Amino acid sequence: MSDWMQNLQKTRYVMDTLLLVSFMIVSAPQATGVPGHEWLSLLFIVPFAVHLLLHWDWIKQSAKRFSKKITAKERFSLVWNYLLYLMMLLATVSGFLVSVALLPTLNIELHIQDFWSKIHHDSATLIMPMIGVHLALHWSWIVNLTKRMRAKRAKA
Amino acid sequence: MKYLQYHWKSRTFVVLAISIVVSILLISLELTDWAAQINQQGYSHGSEGGDGKGIPSVLRYILPFVKELVLIGVPLLLSLLLMKVLRWLRRAKKA
Repeated sequence: MSDWMQNLQKTRYVMDTLLLVSFMIVSAPQATGVPGHEWLSLLFIVPFAVHLLLHWDWIKQSAKRFSKKITAKERFSLVWNYLLYLMMLLATVSGFLVSVALLPTLNIELHIQDFWSKIHHDSATLIMPMIGVHLALHWSWIVNLTKRMRAKRAKA
Repeated sequence: MKYLQYHWKSRTFVVLAISIVVSILLISLELTDWAAQINQQGYSHGSEGGDGKGIPSVLRYILPFVKELVLIGVPLLLSLLLMKVLRWLRRAKKA
């Protein structure tokens, strides 16, 4: 069995990489086509949920940590993570509400509002720089894990 | 995968339940004056495929990913730079 599955940090690393790659594929409707974009977005819920499950302890402690004495970077990261979660939900929900392929296939007809088209476009665009900042806040962890994973592969 | 399997049913239920409640609250945004104003004005950001005239077909698949790399990469680099400057300023203040 792969070693990364036995280690929480390595499991997070592999799953987060998958999450980022799947996010990038899902966020390119010009490349995948709109129907592909919508069906892949539905599948994207899985790696997104996995990401949340693998950070369960952080989620549980986050409310307590906010009221404790923590560094400004940690506090900012905490607020940023929740904003990112909200933005991700907004992009997903608005995506369903402007669906032209997925919901009609499931025989669900919706009147598409310009409001949701705008919200979907704007939130999906805004998520990208937000993810950039999110990655920067965890950059040292990413670099350390990349080194550890590479070292392990070199040994094998 | 043992970390993922640990209490996964109850945890997934909690995550989904909270996400659905928050989503319903977000959907209620369509009842606001802001939404009514945007619906009245109309909105268009072009077709998903863009015009695409004169662009080689390979680029049509590559350019969206380049756009994403820029939109993620530039804020990432700027944030790293800002954090480095802030760390340097804190050290200089202490010294």
